Amino acid sequence: MAFLSAFELLNDPVVVIRQLMAGLANGMLLFLVAAGLSLIFGVSRIINFAHGAVFMLGAYIALTIVNAAGQSTGAFFLAVLISTGFTFLFGMAFEVLCLRRIYRSPQTFQLLVTFGLVLILGDAVKLVWGPEENSVGVPPDLEGIVRPFGVSFPVYRLMLIGVGIAMCAALWILLYRSRWGMLVRAATADRQMLQALGIDVRRLFTVVFGLGTGLAGFAGGLATPVMSIGPALHAQVLIDAFVVVVIGGMGSIPGALVGALLVGQANAFGTLIYPSLSIIFPFLVMTVLLIVRPRGLLGKPE
Amino acid sequence: MIRQVIAALICLAVVLAAPFAVSDFWVFIFIEMLVFGLYAVSFNLLLGYGGMLAFGYAVFFGIGAYACAILIKRFGFDALSATLLAPLVTAVAGAIIGYFCVGLTGTYLGMLTFAFQMLVYTVVLKSYDFTGGDDGLSGLKISGFAAAPRGFYYVTLAVVALSLVVLWRLVHSPFGLALRAQRGNAPRSLALGINVSLHRWATFVIAAFFAGLAGALFALANHSVFPGWLNWTASATPIMMTILGGMHSFIGPVVGSIIYVLMQSWLTGQTEYWALFLGIAIILLVMLLPNGVMGLWRNSQT
Repeated sequence: MAFLSAFELLNDPVVVIRQLMAGLANGMLLFLVAAGLSLIFGVSRIINFAHGAVFMLGAYIALTIVNAAGQSTGAFFLAVLISTGFTFLFGMAFEVLCLRRIYRSPQTFQLLVTFGLVLILGDAVKLVWGPEENSVGVPPDLEGIVRPFGVSFPVYRLMLIGVGIAMCAALWILLYRSRWGMLVRAATADRQMLQALGIDVRRLFTVVFGLGTGLAGFAGGLATPVMSIGPALHAQVLIDAFVVVVIGGMGSIPGALVGALLVGQANAFGTLIYPSLSIIFPFLVMTVLLIVRPRGLLGKPE
Repeated sequence: MIRQVIAALICLAVVLAAPFAVSDFWVFIFIEMLVFGLYAVSFNLLLGYGGMLAFGYAVFFGIGAYACAILIKRFGFDALSATLLAPLVTAVAGAIIGYFCVGLTGTYLGMLTFAFQMLVYTVVLKSYDFTGGDDGLSGLKISGFAAAPRGFYYVTLAVVALSLVVLWRLVHSPFGLALRAQRGNAPRSLALGINVSLHRWATFVIAAFFAGLAGALFALANHSVFPGWLNWTASATPIMMTILGGMHSFIGPVVGSIIYVLMQSWLTGQTEYWALFLGIAIILLVMLLPNGVMGLWRNSQT
């Protein structure tokens, strides 16, 4: 019966539009995380298991700054900026200190090193911020609700959608309209060739890793008003990002966008229609897709 | 030859007498080393011999443990028959999962095992009536000789030793040689008439069988099962043990298991933030000991 009444909810256009918008806002955050993961994988073939942990780190840093600087819109955006900058530098430092030395090693080694970072960051946030769940208020200027088409919708989530679209455009320009982006795409296709052509591939890898973790930290900072921030946050984020990246195609940034939008909508409507199935559903899609089309929707064949 | 026989007899005497020299706590630690040793060797069958990195490998350990617990709690089996049946159930799961995995290579194979693991994990979490959901299942009773910790130690020792002998014979059989051949060069093996997919598939089934056996033993040693054993972080354990001990040695993963269990139990006794130090230790070990402890030992011999 609960099943039926949930479907009846879908006859109400207000509910449908509300869920669509919520899914879109969530999908944009997912895109930022998954794009970083996919970018790193595309260039260095490293599956960064610590990606969710870096997102969490970004969220905690933003939390600290907002708590210290007070609840103002300016402080919030400063906090997001600092989270992004810190996770960008953190990622580059990690790449230089650890990953750079093991690119030629078996994939197992890279996996273990990023997993070691998961353990370290998971405990470090407990050590510094304690085990409890935290929350950050919505910045004062972005509080409230707007009513486009007669549907009430929080301003903050609208802003998330806007930021997500802007970041899509920025990433697209960076990767497809700049010389640096051309090098990144070339490295994804053939690193040896790029190196033979005299490009400093080592530095490129470092910056790409930093950009990937910076995107995760940026998303972590932006997510603070809509997520509960605790030491277990990293696991859910990582797994969602994995699902997105596999659906879109590993290494494909446009794929990450498509995957994130689909998963965002699936989460928004899944929790409404059949909550207990909605946590199983993404993994079912991931499994089936890997079997019938391992390269995902937009990935290139191996 | 005489010296080797004497060394072997001393080893045998030590493992047989060990439980009487220590407290129950240490008996449990010894059981853990044996169980995880078998688990890691079965994992290395896929990684070291087959060249397949299954980063969702805990799915088999978890299925073995849950099969054992469910047979006892829901179907009224005794501990012995549940332990005998659980690996068979896991082998069936290995046949199903392996069937889809062997067609894939590298990261895609790993990702598919990850997807299956998360699928099983979420199904177990949601099937509260059957699996106990978040709480897991507890109160698994063992009767007779194995009910006491020392009795269970000897049973575990016998089962693990027998399994290791079987696995040793397997990797040194023509089957094992063919498996290693396809790891080195799959197209050439195929040209030589080795059925590569069939060998890889059979390896999945065999590895799953022994991982399931280890899971069932661990469930009984703890008198309970927990869904955390199926979560993605649990899959890092066999990988860490294998790399720690050395993936190019049959016994390496057992050595890795002994070191890992010692390190973890020592760290958990020292600090609440043991995962932090474990993470640092893993990163340092991977970077400083790329061939594991057994690689170090072999280098010192030459």
